[in-house]
Amino acid sequence: MALTTLWDVAYFLASALLTLVGRVIPPLAAPLSNGDVIWGLSALVFGAILLAASMINTIMLIWFERKMLGRFMDRRGAMHVGYAGLLQNFADGLKLFRKNTFKPREADELGFYAGPIAYMVTSLLMFGVLPISTGWSDGSLPLSMLLALVIFSFAPLFIFISAWSSNNKYSLMGGMRSAAQMIAYEVPILLAVVAVVLVSGSFDLNTIVAEQQNYWFWGPLVLAMVVFAIGMLAEMERIPFDLPEAEAELVEGWNTEYGGMLFAFFMLADYLRALAGSFLIVLLFLGGWTLPTYVPSALTTFPLAGIFWFLVKTYAVFGVFVWIRAALPRVRTDQLLRIGWMRMIPLSLAAVVLAAALVLVKCLPVFGCIPSMGG
Amino acid sequence: MAAEVDTKKRAQGEGDQGLIVKPMYTAARQFMKSLVRPSTIVYPFERLEDPKFRGEVRVASGKPIGVGEVWDNYRGVHALNINTCISCNLCAFSCPDLCIDMVTVPGGDPKHPKKCPEIDYGKCSYCGFCSDACPEGCLTMTTRYELSVTKRSDMVYSPQKMFDQFQRKLPMNPIRLARPANEDAILLDAPLCIGCNACSRDCPTNCITMLDIPKGTPKPGEKPAKRIWKEPVINDSDCVRCGTCISVCPKECLFWGTHT
Repeated sequence: MALTTLWDVAYFLASALLTLVGRVIPPLAAPLSNGDVIWGLSALVFGAILLAASMINTIMLIWFERKMLGRFMDRRGAMHVGYAGLLQNFADGLKLFRKNTFKPREADELGFYAGPIAYMVTSLLMFGVLPISTGWSDGSLPLSMLLALVIFSFAPLFIFISAWSSNNKYSLMGGMRSAAQMIAYEVPILLAVVAVVLVSGSFDLNTIVAEQQNYWFWGPLVLAMVVFAIGMLAEMERIPFDLPEAEAELVEGWNTEYGGMLFAFFMLADYLRALAGSFLIVLLFLGGWTLPTYVPSALTTFPLAGIFWFLVKTYAVFGVFVWIRAALPRVRTDQLLRIGWMRMIPLSLAAVVLAAALVLVKCLPVFGCIPSMGG
Repeated sequence: MAAEVDTKKRAQGEGDQGLIVKPMYTAARQFMKSLVRPSTIVYPFERLEDPKFRGEVRVASGKPIGVGEVWDNYRGVHALNINTCISCNLCAFSCPDLCIDMVTVPGGDPKHPKKCPEIDYGKCSYCGFCSDACPEGCLTMTTRYELSVTKRSDMVYSPQKMFDQFQRKLPMNPIRLARPANEDAILLDAPLCIGCNACSRDCPTNCITMLDIPKGTPKPGEKPAKRIWKEPVINDSDCVRCGTCISVCPKECLFWGTHT
């Protein structure tokens, strides 16, 4: 059996595991060889692989940010646990895991505990939708990009729930800011996505990547990409749009009252969202796991080449976010909303118009054509 | 006025370039600069005095620093050469923090025990006066700056411990000022002297010799002196001006003064 897709790998692992169990305990061999059982277990293994991949990538992303920020600040970042501090974040996670989590006396128990967990879970859900490479997800969802964006926009709800349940004025203010900011920037993000959808003619991320085989969308749709990236920055609540956790004003924003593992959930979910945002930018504008056709085929045919190039692009995109974080100051609330409503939305509308023009002319002189439009 | 105009321009959005492009450029330049090697010296693993920083890190005077070279004006833990210490007490006299005690070390005779400085680094302010005052150059300051201890008593460095510093051959910084030419000398108020030999006995440099002095012709009606009078004569070039002789003199006939 050729293990070309992730589902094949999961199915192979699950059936091997069940066969092993059947060998060890002979009476179980017959019921365990049932196809439904194998299918169910391989679905679990599939999910576990996705979970592990997204978690490890997230933690590596934090490491990457720490090291890069260190260089921006002329220092070294984490460097003691593991080689070059690679395991530092695992150590930090372990430390947070061991800490006591306690709840303020007047806090609402259900919301206080359910908020971070729901935030974490919805952030993880996205990675079931986002394809990393061909064969990463079995079959394709026709509306996978829309689903990813919908899951992405769950966040303000859970942030606001946990902020309100904390019964702390700083948390509440941070939650309100977070909700206002995320809702304000949903609009330009979706409009920028509309530009991509117009050109590629599909809501399916696999198709969108396939449509970029002649040229990546960032060339003709650079306006949409800029709007999308800035909107993503605001959605991820990263500097310069980290108003909801403005340390100078709001202690720690909406997670002021959280400590221990619940805080770790928030932190991890933030970076999960950052990872998912970088994934989305790579998928929509930077050609996903593909490379331009003129690069030598040796670069694209080695095993796991798709995943490799996808991650390289993702980390490069995230590197730009870190660069922005290192360079720019935090904006004020009024500036944030003015940028969102008065600059981003006109720009994204212009991007949509440009995309429509691109659909009309079908082929560009320098870039070439899009496959579905006669390329 | 100019500031007002700037604020206005910035409010109109003209400052975007200054607020986004310039910081991004500055950050990128800094990133590229520290990509090869950040400025941070990872202290416990590498030190400023490592040879690889010799050319890079410079002190204020422009001299490069490094192993085997004296950092200009750096004053760290003392090193004491017990063998050349003459127990003159000058370091303890000169200490403004009173952190130097003279303690007995083996090597002296029972009547005149050898005493060497013991320094309490809890009080020391690293002014270097002791090192300056030391006439034999045996108390010097090294470039060692690591002093963290877990007990307060560990901050007191015995002479033996400072001798260990000396034997480690750390880069030393002998702070020596040129002695002024018209320095005070020890003078004798001869009529008061009883020739007791105490100064000569206790002089750490043995620069005092007791010479026979004729007591002069007796005045009419006095008996001539029967015994030989001795008086201290001080060899100024050997004298280190420690003042021990003044403090041991029973008749207070030695005093600080200038040769006329």
